[in-house]
Amino acid sequence: MNSAPRILLVDDNPADANLTCEVLATSEHPAQVSTVQDGEQALQFLHRSGQFAEAIRPDLIILDLNLPRKDGRAVLAEVKADPALNEVPVVIFTTSHSPRDIARCYELGANSYVSKPGNLAQFFSAVRSIENFWFGFASLPN
Amino acid sequence: MTEPIEVDILLVEDNPDDLELTLHALRREHLANNIFAVRDGEEAVEFLFCTGRFQQRDFDHLPRLVLLDLKLPKLNGLEVLKRVKQDPRTKALPVVVLTSSKEERDLVASYNLGANSYIQKPVDFDRFREIVKSAGLYWMVINQRPLSNPAQASRAASQP
Amino acid sequence: MTQPSKNGNRNQRLHVLLIEDAPSDAEIEIAELRNGGFDVTADVVETADQVRARLGKNSYDVILADYSLPNFRGMDTLEILREKNLYTPLILVTGALSSETAVECVKQGAVDYVMKDNLARLVLSVRRALEDTRLRQERARSHEQLAHKVEELARSNCDLEQFAYVASHDLQEPLRMVAAYTQLLAERYRGKLDITADRYIGYAVEGATRMQALLEDLLAFSRIGRNGVTPTPIDANTAIEEVLKNLAFTLKEHNVTITCNPLPTILADRFQMVQLFQNLIGNAIKFHGKQPPNVTISAEKHGEEWLFSIFDNGIGIAVEHKEFIFKIFQRLHTRAEYPGNGVGLAICKKIVEHNGGRIWVDSELGHGSNFRFTFPAALADKAGKKEDYELSAENLVGR
Repeated sequence: MNSAPRILLVDDNPADANLTCEVLATSEHPAQVSTVQDGEQALQFLHRSGQFAEAIRPDLIILDLNLPRKDGRAVLAEVKADPALNEVPVVIFTTSHSPRDIARCYELGANSYVSKPGNLAQFFSAVRSIENFWFGFASLPN
Repeated sequence: MTEPIEVDILLVEDNPDDLELTLHALRREHLANNIFAVRDGEEAVEFLFCTGRFQQRDFDHLPRLVLLDLKLPKLNGLEVLKRVKQDPRTKALPVVVLTSSKEERDLVASYNLGANSYIQKPVDFDRFREIVKSAGLYWMVINQRPLSNPAQASRAASQP
Repeated sequence: MTQPSKNGNRNQRLHVLLIEDAPSDAEIEIAELRNGGFDVTADVVETADQVRARLGKNSYDVILADYSLPNFRGMDTLEILREKNLYTPLILVTGALSSETAVECVKQGAVDYVMKDNLARLVLSVRRALEDTRLRQERARSHEQLAHKVEELARSNCDLEQFAYVASHDLQEPLRMVAAYTQLLAERYRGKLDITADRYIGYAVEGATRMQALLEDLLAFSRIGRNGVTPTPIDANTAIEEVLKNLAFTLKEHNVTITCNPLPTILADRFQMVQLFQNLIGNAIKFHGKQPPNVTISAEKHGEEWLFSIFDNGIGIAVEHKEFIFKIFQRLHTRAEYPGNGVGLAICKKIVEHNGGRIWVDSELGHGSNFRFTFPAALADKAGKKEDYELSAENLVGR
């Protein structure tokens, strides 16, 4: 990874997004994080349309499930069905622990599924683990 | 290696040194109780699809994680990956490609075929151990795995 | 022949279908019924088609049928009734009939038979048939009401559980925000605001954290019975092993001695069993007195049930509280004295009852507690060949 990795963070909860960004900003591999708050914006970003015409394809997508306008599962399905986008790893990062959601996401092609912990320290640790693995050890398509 | 019913990690690796290193690193971190290794793509497919030598296995006991090398005898890693990710019974299985290949096309092909992640094996011993440890931790602890049985999974998927 | 009416309701309406080809016989039967106190309206028919037509158009209280008519067998009426899903009682009113045939007819579904030369019995027979019909209808009605009530109850239960689940699930998110950010405030602004602010923030954090724990417990409580897991044979000994592993730190911290007698295999959800044992054993340790906690787990077979006991030497429970403690959110102590939300025992109760058992406690204040619960013995016993083993803290550390 030569330049700073790019992350698209899709989360409708500004409080969570804020925490996530804080962790990502203070990491060993500081990333450029773009945050959007709903599923439609996420897809516009990925397709570089509308207000996101200048967007650059992210190296990693961190995706919440329960989003307004278009929910995370729909975004996941579209991304993984699109040959131009499907190689971008998608990490589902959501409060849902439901086996149904987990099963569904893997069915739709999610690369990874991480449940948002309720506890602050664990939340930080989870985000840290995500960026540590994906940017410190995994190889991502350019 | 005698094969236990509950396999946490399936290692698909034909290089004995790499195999040794990986096993050592995983065991040291106590990341998995049962690690099973196969040496070629054919054996891997038989294991995961419960055929041939592994007829007595069943889809209720799929491993929790597959670490897959690409350069394998008999059937190469990409082919194994393709079969796993295209079959609904095994599609949800986390497969992490762990390979010495530096080819961009292998990387792209892997992600396109649905590999959950792709890791390049470093030459350096210590770095290798670090990578295995980190990958093991992420995929066995942080990552939520799907239910191992598609029947269970589809039951779960249809619950309110 | 006149027959005195039995119960004076001279005007009880009776709609009769008479299957009889001899008009004089028909008249005599109708007269007999009228004398017996019935206000009779009768339709007299002779053939199967006529029977069908009448049954199709009218509803009758009783059918009187001759055994054999020129174009019809009286008993064939039963078949027609079945076709039309009718339960009108059929009484054979007939001339000579052997007793075997008569009995056979009753077996096939006629409610009674009356000989034409002994019509004195007709009124009684009809009254009995009417009474039977009445009882049958009542029973059907109460069955229907019961089914309805059961359905309502099931729906209500389902609603409640859904509510509990959704409420606690949806409450978790905003609560997480409060908990996280008050904690951040506490961490990053400690000493930068004044002491009062620190204290206020402390209370806020405490409240939020407690509510999170409460919601998690409530969610766990509401999940019991909803997750649709089929019970499998669980060796209770291995469930205990898992619990002891989970509690390893606590066991060491309080220097707990556990004695586990051989336990059977039962049909249950493994996760629930572990939860059940863990809550009970956890309590046994938590509510200890001055001496180090000593917990004994055992099971006995009582008829069709296994009776499990978790006995401890802790502070015990007063008689008046023994039922109260199983209620959700009920606690006997302040949080300063003993931590907890008061959901643990409610969860235990729900698990046990969901599996068809009962749970209670035998205890005396100051003299320890024996929590006991039953479990149906659905399987052949596999009480296990394990010896009694005593686990002390030292043994566990080595594991």
